[in-house]
Amino acid sequence: MPPISDTSHDFHDRPPLLEARGLAFARNDEPIFGPLDFSLHAGEVALIEGDNGAGKTTLLRVLSGLLAPSSGEIRLRGEPLTLARLSPQVALLSHQAGLKHELTALENLRFAAGLHGQRKGLSPMTALAGVGLDGYADVPTRQLSAGQKKRVALARVLLAPVALWLLDEPYANLDLDGIKLVNRLLERHANGGGTALITSHGAYAYTSGTPRRIPLRPGIGHRQSAIETAAEQVR
Amino acid sequence: MSSGSTLAACSALVRRDLTLVWRRRGDALNPILFALIVIALFPLALGPEPQQLQRIAAGVVFVALLLAGLLALDTLFRSDYEDGSLEQLVLSSHPLSLLLACKIAVHWLTTALPLIVVAPLLGELLHLADSVRWVLVAALLLATPLLSLIGAVCVALTVGMHRSGMLLALLVLPLYVPVLIFGAGACNAAQIGLPYLAPLLWLAAALVLALVLAPLACAAALRISLS
Amino acid sequence: MNALTLWFHKIGSPPTFYRIAGALAPWCYGIALLLGLVALYGGLVLAPRDYQQGDAYRIIFIHVPCAWMSLFAYFFMAANAFVALVWRIKLSEILAMASAPIGAAFTFITLVTGSLWGKPMWGTWWTWDARLTSELVLLFLYFGVMGLYAAIEDRRQAARAAGFLALIGIVNLPIVHFSVNWWNTLHQGSTVRLMGPSKIDSAMIWPLLTMALATHIWFFGSVLARTRIGLLELDAGKDWVRKIALDQQRA
Repeated sequence: MPPISDTSHDFHDRPPLLEARGLAFARNDEPIFGPLDFSLHAGEVALIEGDNGAGKTTLLRVLSGLLAPSSGEIRLRGEPLTLARLSPQVALLSHQAGLKHELTALENLRFAAGLHGQRKGLSPMTALAGVGLDGYADVPTRQLSAGQKKRVALARVLLAPVALWLLDEPYANLDLDGIKLVNRLLERHANGGGTALITSHGAYAYTSGTPRRIPLRPGIGHRQSAIETAAEQVR
Repeated sequence: MSSGSTLAACSALVRRDLTLVWRRRGDALNPILFALIVIALFPLALGPEPQQLQRIAAGVVFVALLLAGLLALDTLFRSDYEDGSLEQLVLSSHPLSLLLACKIAVHWLTTALPLIVVAPLLGELLHLADSVRWVLVAALLLATPLLSLIGAVCVALTVGMHRSGMLLALLVLPLYVPVLIFGAGACNAAQIGLPYLAPLLWLAAALVLALVLAPLACAAALRISLS
Repeated sequence: MNALTLWFHKIGSPPTFYRIAGALAPWCYGIALLLGLVALYGGLVLAPRDYQQGDAYRIIFIHVPCAWMSLFAYFFMAANAFVALVWRIKLSEILAMASAPIGAAFTFITLVTGSLWGKPMWGTWWTWDARLTSELVLLFLYFGVMGLYAAIEDRRQAARAAGFLALIGIVNLPIVHFSVNWWNTLHQGSTVRLMGPSKIDSAMIWPLLTMALATHIWFFGSVLARTRIGLLELDAGKDWVRKIALDQQRA
């Protein structure tokens, strides 16, 4: 086990964990975002910034493989990927939490563990404790507050044995403790060699470390160069 | 890191769907009540003469069960779509068609199988002939999985819509025609003393084909609807 | 890229197709109308009376070509839907969806003329004859495709979903035909055959074939015209459409 301080340098020598080249998505020929170029190395957390309608959610759905990009390609560890190669490697937290209200928090996580597998050293129970919900295992999800549901959904992401997290508005509905929790989870994930892309309106930015920023603006044309320069500036 | 076996994923899905049905077990009775009411309407509309009712009994039971199944179809993906778990199914690393096949199987077990169990009783209400009763049950056992499989493909196509009930019927019913013809046809043949094995075998052949193809088509349709 | 694929790409680009279709459609309509009138004259005036059915049989000069077209349009739609789904070609999506209402119209005419013919032949407007029943199911299949296409907001997604349904329908169609035939023999023994194996007079055959040709050409003219509109709608934000709109405003 290498010392923690070394890891971030180590990861940069390898091909980036996630790389987008000229990635664009259009619906009905209306450009939603892109073309977009960025790369994320293991241990990096990036914040996708943009106003409502800038295509943040769509970008995450494209990166997760739910939507096919209209042009460009996504590379994972240097290899162009297909949906089949992608899905075992990403965990997506979207607006709909993907939780069944009739099931308890623990049952929801057990199902997720069965469907996606589970991270070594974690179980549905410990994942629940990891998001500060110990004691809520047997409460039906219906009776949880919006913030608590969000925490269960985060526990699902935490449990999944994947390197790439795609989190859509992870801070929404959370109290101050919850926001700190998300940041702590992200930090630990990054330190363990994982990568996360998160969207946010910017109000509760990921504060620990220096997150990469990927700005998204509606419209095309000049955007590619604008994003490239923005990305350069961040580096 | 272990991403789990496909078998584990399928069994987790089956267990979850069965648990959900159990938690909402009140709803599970609805298709049976619906079929019962539809059956009860026929004597009220046509008059209570046993001969007349006996002649149409098998066909009416078949149509009533088909309609009850059609109404139940909507629940196949509805809640999964709304709460985002359908997305999670699509994102899992296991073959989507296999997961969908599990979902369809559970749906058939919990909506169609109870209907088949009560079908002889429903037939009794219409004076169904003794010779037809078990042919009807056999035909239903072969036909209802087919209806669920074909229906699932159409539900997958309409999954993102808010009010899809009428449209779903429009998509599904023309595809149900052959199943209805062979299923009810076998019963009618049995009733007039003709050999009824051939239509049942056709249904069985179609079922085997649908078991293989429908989950694949369902997965493809779902990917179109979710894009 | 060889010459043929290049040619396909060129034809398949919306502005080019729009222009070519605009030039071809009126010719299709004109030729179809001319051929149709010739066929009607041949069928209604020149062809001899049927010794059994009298003049009533003359409706076949409409009924039979429309019945052929109802199937042909479905195959055309399904073939285009297949191309659209496999290669994601926008033009094929629109072609498939453009042929659905036309095919439905031909199916509807087939049913109406069939029922009109049924009145003198069987004494009722409707009979559950195997062919008519199959046509009725075909009409429902068309309605399903059109309904699904209309119900989904995103036009391209709608076209793909409806195209997928059309492909399921094409698998279903022979099964429907087979099952309805079986059902018909179970319930009616032998049915009255409208078109027996008896020989058809050549004076009857040429108007029939001419009418079939006319309906095919009409179908293509109509598909081209509808596809043009579909292209305009789908590409409404594109430059080439804006240019056409500006040109028309100026004219």
